[in-house]
Amino acid sequence: MPDDPDIVIRASGLTKVYRNGPVEVHALRGVDFAAVRGEFVVILGPSGSGKSTFLNILGGLDSASAGRVQFRDHDLTELDERGLTQYRRDHVGFVFQFYNLVPSLTALENVALVTEIARNPMNPADALDLVGLSARQDHFPAQLSGGEQQRVAIARAIAKRPELLFCDEPTGALDSTTGVRVLEALTEVNRAIGATTLVITHNAAIREIADRTLRFADGRIVETTVNTTRKRPDQVSW
Amino acid sequence: MVIAPLRRKVLRDLGRLWPQVLAIALVLAAGVATMILGNGAYASLSETRARYYADYRFADVFADLTRAPLALLGDVAAIDGVLQAEARIVKLGRPEFPDMVEPASILLVSLPVNPDAGLNRLHLRQGRLPEPLASDEIVVSEGFAAAHRLQPGTTVPVVMNGKRRDLVVTGIALSPEFIYALGPGEMMPDPRRFGIAWLPRATLEAAYDLDGAFSNLVLRLAPGASETRVIEALDRLTAPYGGLGATGRSEQTSHAFLDAELKQLGAMVKVLPPIFLLVAAMLLHMTLSRLVALEREQIGLLKALGYRPGSIAGHYLEFVLCIAVIGCLIGFVAGAWLGAGMAQLYARFFSFPFLVFTRDPQIYVLAAAITVAAATGGALQTVRAVLRLAPAVAMAPPAPADFRRRTGWAARLVPLRQTGRMIARHLLRWPMRSLSSIMGVAMAVAILVASLWSFGSIDHMIDITFSRAERQDVRIAFVGAEPASAVQDVRRMPGVMAAEPFRVVGARLSHGARSKRLAIEGRPADARLSRALSPDLVPMAMPGAGLILSEALAKALDVARGDLVTVEFLEGRRSLSHLPVSGISVGYVGLGAAMEIGALNRVMGEGALISGVNVSLDPAGQDAFFAAARQAPKTGFMNVTDLTVSRFRQTLAENITVMITVYVTLAGIIAVGVVYNFSRIALSEQGRELASLRVLGFTQAEVSGVILGELAVVVLVAQPLGWLIGHGIGLAMVAAFSSDLYRVPFVMGREVYATASLIVIAAALLSAIAVRGRINRLDMIAVLKTRE
Repeated sequence: MPDDPDIVIRASGLTKVYRNGPVEVHALRGVDFAAVRGEFVVILGPSGSGKSTFLNILGGLDSASAGRVQFRDHDLTELDERGLTQYRRDHVGFVFQFYNLVPSLTALENVALVTEIARNPMNPADALDLVGLSARQDHFPAQLSGGEQQRVAIARAIAKRPELLFCDEPTGALDSTTGVRVLEALTEVNRAIGATTLVITHNAAIREIADRTLRFADGRIVETTVNTTRKRPDQVSW
Repeated sequence: MVIAPLRRKVLRDLGRLWPQVLAIALVLAAGVATMILGNGAYASLSETRARYYADYRFADVFADLTRAPLALLGDVAAIDGVLQAEARIVKLGRPEFPDMVEPASILLVSLPVNPDAGLNRLHLRQGRLPEPLASDEIVVSEGFAAAHRLQPGTTVPVVMNGKRRDLVVTGIALSPEFIYALGPGEMMPDPRRFGIAWLPRATLEAAYDLDGAFSNLVLRLAPGASETRVIEALDRLTAPYGGLGATGRSEQTSHAFLDAELKQLGAMVKVLPPIFLLVAAMLLHMTLSRLVALEREQIGLLKALGYRPGSIAGHYLEFVLCIAVIGCLIGFVAGAWLGAGMAQLYARFFSFPFLVFTRDPQIYVLAAAITVAAATGGALQTVRAVLRLAPAVAMAPPAPADFRRRTGWAARLVPLRQTGRMIARHLLRWPMRSLSSIMGVAMAVAILVASLWSFGSIDHMIDITFSRAERQDVRIAFVGAEPASAVQDVRRMPGVMAAEPFRVVGARLSHGARSKRLAIEGRPADARLSRALSPDLVPMAMPGAGLILSEALAKALDVARGDLVTVEFLEGRRSLSHLPVSGISVGYVGLGAAMEIGALNRVMGEGALISGVNVSLDPAGQDAFFAAARQAPKTGFMNVTDLTVSRFRQTLAENITVMITVYVTLAGIIAVGVVYNFSRIALSEQGRELASLRVLGFTQAEVSGVILGELAVVVLVAQPLGWLIGHGIGLAMVAAFSSDLYRVPFVMGREVYATASLIVIAAALLSAIAVRGRINRLDMIAVLKTRE
């Protein structure tokens, strides 16, 4: 896999140290990782294990203390704030735990918000269709349920056709049934646009729908599991 | 003590939100300061004047006449309502200083035999009064003494009735009669070219051939006496002796100018403080609502813990009151400091022996009370909401802002990008807040428009008055009326290029119940120097028989072109005529009435007489002309247009910097206060959304654009509104400031709007830059993980 031309993102020796006064917190201690195009990766691990820091650095929201992150043949660690913004803008989709939709925009407009600044976006209505929300496109976030809001958020994240889709606890605020709908949406768009998808979750049940599961502990990847057969979201529950 | 932790929270909130707290406190402080300054200056000026008048027995009625025997004084004193009457000789002399080329004049006023018992008593600054029998001793007014470095012992050569006398200064004094010492025919006091000298009447009797006679009367009235009746009786008594009609204090120059100043201060107190207090109340409302929204859960928690709603509401009220107190304190200091500056300005402008700058605690208490009331008013709605909030509801997260209502139509603004829609919907979602912020910024613009227009208007006034109407270089007024041939004598003086005679006759014009006392000026039909201008600024030919009245006079008498006015001449045969109004002219100084000089002389029936000559000069011959004019025995006083204009401009220039600084600061405080608070609140409400946009790949500039776009809409919409309000205030000012002394033309140019807008936009930009720093520091990682 190291030289696989399909590798989209690669981290090597990734280290992150936060200084909090005299105390040094090692959030990441030399993480090596690579993911290929279209791969669906679930990241598990207890709070403070470094999984969010890992995702933030890969997503261009935070910088590493040491090590390298490469997106295709670009070295993210060499980019400044402007370069990272451009990277997120062109290549990365994010889904947040609390959806973070803009309350003053309708579902369709929330998606259009991103397509307006993207290079090769989908039609916003198609993106909403992909998550099954065409009928709700003119509703404001306040008129949508939590699960619907999260699906709008997914549509917003993938409408730019990103190579990478990062989701931090996308089902964390949802009940099981709604969570399953959201996971279905995620796997569907993963399949449809071929974005490499990294999903952080506390929910071990979700690993069964992934190609690969990473388990983080104490700033390291302590276990990697490859699923030979992926389950469909409706086959899991919690 | 359950309240202690909450009080600590108040202090921490104040510390945490200090830029917003300071911005609001400054707006409150501006209100407090203008209130204290305005009320203080008003009280100070009116009390100073009142005390000065009382202590120095300022007269109530004034009358000039040609010559009356002293025996008449008994009859005057016997008029019902007259408490004290004093006969004086008042004449205009000409000081001759070797180092002074330009003409100057000095008003010579006789002293009563017992000056301590007299009216308009002098306040001696230096030296002593002249000995009653000393024929060469004078006391001079302080401003004049300072301008010419006169000391007791200095000799001043004065030409009296054509004869030069060397007078010795024995003292320097002030008089309640000349607090505002305006020379004849001048627009601004100029202590170098006009002064007052008081001297024993014997000296004046001899110089003006007024043995046993007098030329001026001053009267003090008994409390409750009717001024009108006394004046009527007095006019009847003085008419045979060339009486020009008596006047009350309201037409006494010095008193009237002080009145005009008081009127302006009164208007300032009515307009400025309420603007600031309203804006501050609005800002407090905005800020407190947001604070309470953010602290909803804490409020619920405190209620669940058993804090009484009253204590919690009291906590927020305390926060607001702290801001009010900070605002009051800053306002007190600024108000007192500005007040002291204002007092200095008065001291320079008005001659008072003392200045009562009232530090009346009542003004401070009142200002504080009004400020606290405004602040509490602003907080009331929010505090009531705190009281109503049920603990269980408060602890649940607030429902997401619902944008369905009110803002739906904004979606139809098709050409907008999504960020544009965010801006539009956010503004429309809280229409009251958006509107009040727009009003706030508009007020900043309005304050500037309403203060800046006056400069252009003064330029206009100078241009019209001196470039188009009064185009002479020098106006010579003779001591008395002279035969028309006197114009030839002037024409022969060196440097004279053109000379036109004029005739001035005191008259009372009436129409119905309205009546005004003024001077009618006769001019040649084809006058080229001193001209009347029609409202569209075209020179008007003098009509064959009728009068041309200034707009102010026409309005005061309520007459229009073609109406007949009754003219009662107060000189010569004192004839009564009914003359038609042939035209209305523009004029900004005094009440003007003009006639063709021949027609005027015909009505007067004294032959072809002139009162003086308007002259246009060859600049090279100016000094020689002044020398010759001074030597001419007929010369009473001269007004030099260049000197009048430059003195006018110089006086304004002295005040203009102060005024601009004050008004720009005031407007800046409002603009910064409103814009900063508005954007901080918008940022607080949308910070999370904006951080999300940053995560989604929006640049710092794009994200700042959302908040700054909202600001731009508020600031831009506010501009025309501010122009309109400022225009309205300006019009109201014109009406409020117009008096018989002067009228202010309303000239509102585009450059006034532009300047006001530029200043406010600059202040808004400064606040925007401060907020932009915060937008750039938005924490992107936090929004991934946290709920609001």
